[in-house]
Amino acid sequence: MIQFEKVAKTYQSGKQEIHALNGIDLTVETGEIYGVIGFSGAGKSSLIRTVNLLERPTSGRVLIHGKDISTLSSKEIRETRKDIGMIFQHFNLLNSKTVYHNVAMPLILANTPKNKIKEQVKDLLDFVGLADQAEKYPDQLSGGQKQRIGIARALATNPSVLLCDEATSALDPQTTQSILELLRRINREYNITILLITHEMGVIREICDKVAVLEAGKVIEQGSVFEVFTNPKQPTTQRFVRSVMNDDLPESLLNQIQDPNRSHTIYRVQFTGPSVGQPLMSRVSREFNLDLNVLFGNITELQGSPYGNLIVEFSGKPAEIEQALKAIRSDTVKVEEVKNYAS
Amino acid sequence: MLVDNEQILEALWETVYMTGASFLFSLIIGFPLGILLVVTRKGHLLANEPVSKVLNIIINIFRSVPFIILMVAIIPLTRLIVGTSIGTAAAIVPLVFYAGPYIARLIENSLLEVDKGVIEAAQAMGATPGQIIFRFLIPEALSSLVLALTIAIVGLIGASAMAGAIGGGGLGDLAITYGYQRFDTLVMVITVAILVILVQGVQSLGNVLSKRVRRS
Repeated sequence: MIQFEKVAKTYQSGKQEIHALNGIDLTVETGEIYGVIGFSGAGKSSLIRTVNLLERPTSGRVLIHGKDISTLSSKEIRETRKDIGMIFQHFNLLNSKTVYHNVAMPLILANTPKNKIKEQVKDLLDFVGLADQAEKYPDQLSGGQKQRIGIARALATNPSVLLCDEATSALDPQTTQSILELLRRINREYNITILLITHEMGVIREICDKVAVLEAGKVIEQGSVFEVFTNPKQPTTQRFVRSVMNDDLPESLLNQIQDPNRSHTIYRVQFTGPSVGQPLMSRVSREFNLDLNVLFGNITELQGSPYGNLIVEFSGKPAEIEQALKAIRSDTVKVEEVKNYAS
Repeated sequence: MLVDNEQILEALWETVYMTGASFLFSLIIGFPLGILLVVTRKGHLLANEPVSKVLNIIINIFRSVPFIILMVAIIPLTRLIVGTSIGTAAAIVPLVFYAGPYIARLIENSLLEVDKGVIEAAQAMGATPGQIIFRFLIPEALSSLVLALTIAIVGLIGASAMAGAIGGGGLGDLAITYGYQRFDTLVMVITVAILVILVQGVQSLGNVLSKRVRRS
């Protein structure tokens, strides 16, 4: 478990003080994948570095498994760091060493016997799918392969926590997918708690359980990925959500439906869980004698359960529309009128 | 020609000996200093402003004194260390004072080229400062270090030629005494040619070695 308690970090830049972190309160539960998202300069990278004390908070505490790490001696800090793996945007591998040596490095530092290192590195390389690349050098590998080496290296000391510092930001979309899958496997198979920072909402949607949105060194919104994606409150969060769940209606379509002679209302219908599989719209159309025009539709998966988002134009008698909406609304179906759908 | 082959060979040996010995001692002094210059920098492994400042000032002082003056200036010290201020062994002392700080700077430069991310990764895996220096910084900079030290050796070959001024012997001495003061052009041409070949050889060797240690 990682707890941030009123964590603040201030840099001195000339005479100016820069507040990178401004009182962060966050709790990452054991076994969770927690994502912190923010634009560049929001303080993400300072935040993640306070966990293994690559950066020391100016005030506040960071507790790892209940222990305040800033009170530890440098030797104890080094021991704690072995329990916290870290991977980086630019991989930070040793270019002068082979893949094998890179992965073995944390074990060499810990004076592990040679035959044991050999065994462990082989297992690690197997796990990340690069067993046949052991004798290569990092510059002979692709970005995705380098990140796999970084992951293998981070896992070498059997950490309970893995920090991911923009781990997929330098990778193409396909490679990003495969790295995210690997991270999820690590989380599930080894029950390793993962804290990741990113500026890509897709990464959050793909693997995170919880998310915090960081802006100007403050957490402006946090919650389960499901909550935040289906009901983002802050403008910044809404922008992030829209970046992956774009439901803006095309302008040409808006021109067509904005006919003053047309009596209609537009609603956003959000389905969750089992309701996604139901033919709800056609049933409502039949029962209440309404014309339904689906302007936008999308189904994605959030935290392993389906989530549907429809924007529907209801045409018919207002009373019947009212009735229909009543019938649709339930625990798993949310309906709201879309007023300013022109973005 | 006023000199025979034997004299030329002896002078060559003296040059090699002076360069080699002074390089060795300079390295012993310059290498740790170079590391210290890097790690005591602001924001680095063992950041320490006073140490860093003092070190920089001292090194800059030595680096700003022309070698020919340095040679004369430290004669008392030379006498204290080798018992005499004349001869090949005596020339090694000022050469070390000249090349030690120079090597420290070269090493500082090479080590600074190492990506900061690598140091961060090392810290994140719980490495001690010593481990970071010897298992991360130096191996990553090795190829560049070899080239830097090649520059130092070439510099020392040139400086050792000047040591002839205090009777240090070597090819430089030969060139001055016979080639310049006694107008023996052939001696001048031969000694300069040997120096050129020597420098070319050292540089080529450095290049090859640097390529080879890039991956170890």
